[in-house]
Amino acid sequence: MEPVFDVIIVGGGVVGCAVAWYLSHFDLRVVLLEKERDVCCGVSKANTGVIHSRSYFTPHTLKGELHLRSLELFPSLERELDFHCHKVGALTIAFSLHDLQYLNTLKERGKNPHAEIIGPQELKELEPLVNPEVIACYYDPETKVVSPFLLTLALAEFAVLNGVEFIFFTEVLGFEETRDALSVQTNRGVYRARVAINCTGIHATSLAQKTGETIPLHRLYRGQYFVLDRDCQSLVKHVLYPVPTVGSKGILVTPTPEGNILVGPNFELIPEEDTATTKIGLEEVERGGGRLVPSLPLHKTITTFSGIRPTLPDRDFRIFFSLRFPRLLHLCGIESPGLTASLGIAEYVGEQIQKTGILFREKKVAPRVSFPVFRTASWEEREKLIAQDPDWGDIVCRCEEVTLAEIKHALSSCLPASTLDGLKRRVRVMAGRCQGSFCGMHLPDILMGKSLQKREAIMKSGEKSWYCLDTIGRAETENASTR
Amino acid sequence: MPRRVKAQVVVIGGGPAGMASALAAFENGARPVFLLERGEYLGGILNQCIHPGFGLHLFGEELTGPEYAERFKEKLSRTQVEVLLNTTVLEITPQRIVRAVNPQGVWEFETTRAVLSMGCRERTRGMLRLPGTRPAGIFTAGLAQYLVNIEGLLPGKEVLILGSGDIGLIMARRLTLEGATVKAVVEVRDSLSGLLRNYVQCLHDFNIPLWLSHTVTTIQGKERVEGVVVSRVDEGGRAIPGSERVVPCDTLLLSVGLIPENELSRQASIPLCPRTGGPVINEYFACEREGFFACGNVVGVFDLVDYVTLVSQGVGEAVNIPTAFSPAKYHLVPGDGVSLVIPQKIQEGKKGFLFLRSLQSFRQAAVSFSFQGKEFHKLRVPLCYPSEMIRLNIQDIPWPSQGGEIRIGITGERIRGIY
Ligand SMILES: Cc1cc2nc3c(=O)[nH]c(=O)nc-3n(C[C@H](O)[C@H](O)[C@H](O)COP(=O)(O)OP(=O)(O)OC[C@H]3O[C@@H](n4cnc5c(N)ncnc54)[C@H](O)[C@@H]3O)c2cc1C
Ligand SMILES: Cc1cc2nc3c(=O)[nH]c(=O)nc-3n(C[C@H](O)[C@H](O)[C@H](O)COP(=O)(O)OP(=O)(O)OC[C@H]3O[C@@H](n4cnc5c(N)ncnc54)[C@H](O)[C@@H]3O)c2cc1C
Repeated sequence: MEPVFDVIIVGGGVVGCAVAWYLSHFDLRVVLLEKERDVCCGVSKANTGVIHSRSYFTPHTLKGELHLRSLELFPSLERELDFHCHKVGALTIAFSLHDLQYLNTLKERGKNPHAEIIGPQELKELEPLVNPEVIACYYDPETKVVSPFLLTLALAEFAVLNGVEFIFFTEVLGFEETRDALSVQTNRGVYRARVAINCTGIHATSLAQKTGETIPLHRLYRGQYFVLDRDCQSLVKHVLYPVPTVGSKGILVTPTPEGNILVGPNFELIPEEDTATTKIGLEEVERGGGRLVPSLPLHKTITTFSGIRPTLPDRDFRIFFSLRFPRLLHLCGIESPGLTASLGIAEYVGEQIQKTGILFREKKVAPRVSFPVFRTASWEEREKLIAQDPDWGDIVCRCEEVTLAEIKHALSSCLPASTLDGLKRRVRVMAGRCQGSFCGMHLPDILMGKSLQKREAIMKSGEKSWYCLDTIGRAETENASTR
Repeated sequence: MPRRVKAQVVVIGGGPAGMASALAAFENGARPVFLLERGEYLGGILNQCIHPGFGLHLFGEELTGPEYAERFKEKLSRTQVEVLLNTTVLEITPQRIVRAVNPQGVWEFETTRAVLSMGCRERTRGMLRLPGTRPAGIFTAGLAQYLVNIEGLLPGKEVLILGSGDIGLIMARRLTLEGATVKAVVEVRDSLSGLLRNYVQCLHDFNIPLWLSHTVTTIQGKERVEGVVVSRVDEGGRAIPGSERVVPCDTLLLSVGLIPENELSRQASIPLCPRTGGPVINEYFACEREGFFACGNVVGVFDLVDYVTLVSQGVGEAVNIPTAFSPAKYHLVPGDGVSLVIPQKIQEGKKGFLFLRSLQSFRQAAVSFSFQGKEFHKLRVPLCYPSEMIRLNIQDIPWPSQGGEIRIGITGERIRGIY
């Protein structure tokens, strides 16, 4: 018989990883099952990356409650994970008297003495490029931005360091109740647990329905983005929100921790999961961004992407035990601000698990220490790093200044990258302005050494995402030079 | 502690431009001269261009890229030019402090003259804002060239190439020779972008179709490219609704242009030209900031490496010319039919080369120079293509006695189609 875990977490997005982080503080046997090759392959990698402040919470909802709780948990999390959120502040832009009312609402919700409603003149000093038609704006200094992937990874790494097991390539297909445990069926065998948590993002509702829950079908709303070159960095320094329209927070212009600018997302209903970008969608984003910043340099786009929100009719999170499988907890409708609220969600999930009678004994945890980043290191630090290991002096990606040392670390850390996308999201090779046209030359060698046969094994992300499709014999290459 | 070095000349980038300028500077007496290259070898782009077609103008013979580079590497090895390989320059200050790293550590050069020769990079999917999914199998043509020629990897088997620039044309042939099927080369304009000889030798001889006035509008495929949507475009280059068709393929190659690599120049507060994307320079290839020169593709994209070498040799001489940074008398601006003019500034009009690129292909063309709205010089060119630079001797042009703005235009009979 398979061992019985205390908790099985299904899904390694920010929510699953936050739950893993939370549970790793206690003496529990926890495993996380993820269908992809890496953590953070779903919605959690493709969003705006804003830690929405208190001003933007939704009162009288579970979503709002967990949002606020999360904000309380963030400061200690940042210390524990050696992870830094960038407090850039936000500006919500009003173009009409109607908009102005909304700014007052935000101010009331924020309860922040440092937040204020300011006029066009002051705004111009903060953000000179904002549309001059603005009549007022709400300044909120608490808003932060993060790299959503790196936050998820930090949560996951902490969990691994503290005993949580992560198993990839494992898709959960169904559940079955046995006498002493819940058995979780996957494409790679059965796992058993006292409790299982369904954190599968946009798949959570369909998985819940499979287990016989009567939960209303969610709708999928896609949001598309432009990512602008880092040399636009100085153009926008705060998160710029419009006054929201029905449905979403609207199309934002946001600086990222890495120094890019994000423009998006739109809010479009799609019939099925599809993360393509479209001409129409991007045009909508262009208009939305242009309304906030008319001179937005979209010709500096380095890439476009999209993410999908699973929204329930009441627009709230729904976290509940299955009627059929009382040991199975579903997390449905985790849409925006799911990233912000993830810590609060994790704590709440912990409380629900405790209700099933599982004992939570606190244990001593090992802190996580982040790995240095060459690009942001000072010259003195760089000199020291190279003295320790010459690989720090070997720049592989010129756009993002990523060194061989960082790549090797990402390939050998406690949750190593196993795909090109995994590497890109960890250390930003291929994520800069040339999008891999330079470092893409050298990565095959670094990943596979000099062994030719294995090269076809380099994958971008999934099982069929080969980087190259074949090899050419070395001898043949040399002959060809005389052709 | 960083290694602190005082230099007379520091050359950044060891492609053909950097090699030629470092050599010439040394031969003209500059000491010490440093040549910094981030790659494992000198030669830049040449190392991956294993096709013949280099050196016809300079050496009177057709060499491959590596053979061409070898001639300069060999010459350099007989000088005391200090070549630092695996050395990436990360910062240049306006006061000519050049900071670089390599596996030995951090280097800080304080130099009297800095020569920028960082080459260029390729335009990407992102810059085209090409929508669709984001699978594996999308490459810029130069990356694919490197993977095939240097790494021995075949990027794909069923390939569609967007853009009829030279690298795309050469890659169409290369991939075909390696057993891949090139479905078509798709070009948004109504004429060829690359050289005619490359069209004939790389597409025509291999029966690869060229679709002019077409573009790729969407990429399909979840994990690996499964197909692309190709549409016809109207005169303005906009996709025509209803003309879409799906071309199944596993690979999309982009050969949609090159951009001079000037992040370092920007850091050093060197004024850039919006047209070329490179520094504004005069006939000495001196930038508009004391002590800085620029040569090769970092200035603007050159067609032939021979020209790159020629102008870079000029830079090597100019590092010793005290008046290289004196104010310019003439300011050259591209007029109708012209996409690029190098240099943009001229002091005297007594030396150096003038390079022009036309915007379109013309038959029976004329290059016209005008000053204060009046044409003062006209030159006939039987055929001119955007892919081929027009090279003129600056001293052959009767510059007006008064200084100011000179407009250069090209007119002629438009060539549509391939030739
Ligand atoms: C356009 C957009 C913008 C947003 N902006 C913000 C923002 O600025 N701030 C903010 O706070 N929030 C934002 N959000 C919300 C936030 O991104 C999400 O709420 C959050 O990422 C959800 O995380 P998750 O872990 O639930 O889902 P996911 O990240 O999708 O994780 C689910 C995981 O489960 C795996 N999985 C699925 N099915 C199975 C299975 N059967 N077996 C095993 N594994 C499975 C998936 O592969 C995936 O890794 C935004 C969302 C969108 C779409
Ligand atoms: C595919 C292709 C085919 C071609 N075919 C032909 C042909 O048939 N005939 C012909 O005459 N010409 C051809 N050319 C053109 C010719 O190769 C170029 O004109 C020439 O290489 C440009 O020289 P360069 O020195 O300016 O740039 P590059 O060759 O690009 O060299 C720039 C060098 O600078 C280095 N560098 C950049 N930044 C830094 C930094 N921060 N620190 C250190 N080093 C740095 C780079 O590593 C590189 O080695 C072709 C070009 C290509 C791309």
